[in-house]
Amino acid sequence: MEAWYQCEIPYPYVDQKVLDAAPSVRASLPNRYCDPKIAADLFEECIDEFLLCDDLGINVIGIEHHGGINSMLASNPMLMSILARQTKKVRILSLGTLITLRPDPVRVAEEYATADIISRGRLEIGFVKSGGSEIASSNVSAIDNGERYWEAIDLITKALTSHDGPFSWEGRHFTHRHVNIWPRPYQQLPRMWSATGDASTSRDVGRRGMVHTLVLRGPEGTKAAYAANIKARAEAGLPPSTTDLFSYAALVGVGETEEEGMRIGEKLLWFLNTSLKSAPQFGKFLPGGPPPWAAPSIYRTKPRAPKNAEEAAKMAALKPSVATQGGMMGTTPEMAKQQGILFAGTPDSVYKQIKDFHDYVGGFGHLMMIGRSGPMTHAETEKSVNLFAREVLPRLKEIKTVQAGFNQ
Amino acid sequence: MSTRMSTSNTAPAAERVALAGVELEVLRSGAGNPLLLLHGFQHLDPASPLVELLAREASLIAPSHPGFGKSSRPDDFRSVYDLVNLYLGFLDTLPQGPVTLMGLSFGGWLAAEIAVKAGKRIGKLILVDALGIRISEPTTPDILDIFNAHPREVTSKSWHDAEKFAPRYDDMEDEDIIQRSQNWETLCRYGHHPYMHQPQLKRWLPSIKASTLVLWGASDGIVKPSYGQAYAKLIPGARFETIPNAGHHPEIEQPEALAAAVRAFLKS
Repeated sequence: MEAWYQCEIPYPYVDQKVLDAAPSVRASLPNRYCDPKIAADLFEECIDEFLLCDDLGINVIGIEHHGGINSMLASNPMLMSILARQTKKVRILSLGTLITLRPDPVRVAEEYATADIISRGRLEIGFVKSGGSEIASSNVSAIDNGERYWEAIDLITKALTSHDGPFSWEGRHFTHRHVNIWPRPYQQLPRMWSATGDASTSRDVGRRGMVHTLVLRGPEGTKAAYAANIKARAEAGLPPSTTDLFSYAALVGVGETEEEGMRIGEKLLWFLNTSLKSAPQFGKFLPGGPPPWAAPSIYRTKPRAPKNAEEAAKMAALKPSVATQGGMMGTTPEMAKQQGILFAGTPDSVYKQIKDFHDYVGGFGHLMMIGRSGPMTHAETEKSVNLFAREVLPRLKEIKTVQAGFNQ
Repeated sequence: MSTRMSTSNTAPAAERVALAGVELEVLRSGAGNPLLLLHGFQHLDPASPLVELLAREASLIAPSHPGFGKSSRPDDFRSVYDLVNLYLGFLDTLPQGPVTLMGLSFGGWLAAEIAVKAGKRIGKLILVDALGIRISEPTTPDILDIFNAHPREVTSKSWHDAEKFAPRYDDMEDEDIIQRSQNWETLCRYGHHPYMHQPQLKRWLPSIKASTLVLWGASDGIVKPSYGQAYAKLIPGARFETIPNAGHHPEIEQPEALAAAVRAFLKS
């Protein structure tokens, strides 16, 4: 198993009273609450943490969010290009540009090709479907988000792999009549990733052979998404998937004692408890977001009980963020650990939590550790990452790539 | 189910019309010269008082836009361009002679587009709290962004008396809530970008041949009466009137006053 480190570079310094009073801490919180000097310090610390990972053999991930305290990484390719130059050894994964928000995927292909050249072929490319507040921040709608996602990926793939002069793309959602990017990527085609938990997209990811990432989905949701992927691939007559085509992202805090690890875990949970607060128009009322059949429980102030078990199961399968406003708020470290979204404690304990989760969901070849969030300090982060690299990573590397879905 | 949403036994039944690959739900009521009514954010409730009031004045024809109500929306039907072409074709199915075209809110945008294109086929044009153009400089939103604003703000700006008229979802049946949610999504598909307007429409409004009345809820906070006045100024000879004690939906808050203004205009 490979390990990857990510930090969303959040901004945890807005007064709690301001956050409590704001209907949303994403998309609409005025940026006067962002002190540029503090932001600069945060970027410096966090980029140093990525460089520490390079020294320790942990691959690095850059993510993207827009317009809120949860992350200041509004432009993923910018961080990619910095890491491409500043790191020397590890793989660099963009997970990813929120591609359905970009009007022109060809520009993204150009940016990725450039980062791949600068890193001499260490770039990996991932795609994530954007959330509601990002959709608002970027002046797009969530309707046809899935269609735009795959069309953009197809266009980027073609732009990265075509070398015979300009080609024309006039699709349903994107038009670019003269595509011929310079430079071409260093690799023939960087490995591609997709982060998704819904069954339909999971099936597409399986058929396309991309690395399938589940973010904070817990054991049941992850197992189900992996299974949809594996089944679709088998039904398409493609070779069976191996575990290196699967990954899981969780909050990871390692301490010298259980208590120290859990204290880090509590700080990491700021991501769920504070930074996800979002106004209803960016979540449950987002047109093109929740399916229309879910509307009665979403619109009513006093939702009625599900009519039957089938209806209850359908509601339970909805993402918490759309089914209820701020669905993951109020999560404690113990709950998060129980739900498989936090791996925290001593190195022994963290290894066992990861291994148990891995075995339960049917195997994955990449652990994406969200290693810094909320009020964690630079020193705390470095200590946790060092402990992870020294005492957890060697054991994870022992977990070999095998056929995926071994528990199905 | 709230009383406003209920479908009484006396409400006219909707017909289904197949046109350009769309199964269109069309409400017809009354007799006389045709009045084609294009709805706004939600499709027309057959039991709404406006239907009965307008049916006294004309032969009311009220389709639900594709993707609203029970009208189908084929996958390749995606834009206001499609809607305008559909209704231009629909006009051909109506009896010869001038048609009165009336549009509410989003339907007002469609009505203005159709009036530009259909020339003398439209005898009279009635725009009610219509969307469709841009008036102000770039940093002043003419039309409240109903998709990005908090639902509380959308409600307070939609109604003169929100307490009395805003939809009460807690009292509605599942199917009505699902329908409203579906309508909202379809509205977003058609009107998200450019937001609720066609940048070139303003240029063509002076070519409208129809005699035009522009009506506006005096308390409309979605799109203000000053926008309606500017809209009316762009259409040759158009008259502008406000309807007191109404927000963006005078057809729901003041159906009698709205119908009276229509009656007077039809007789003029």
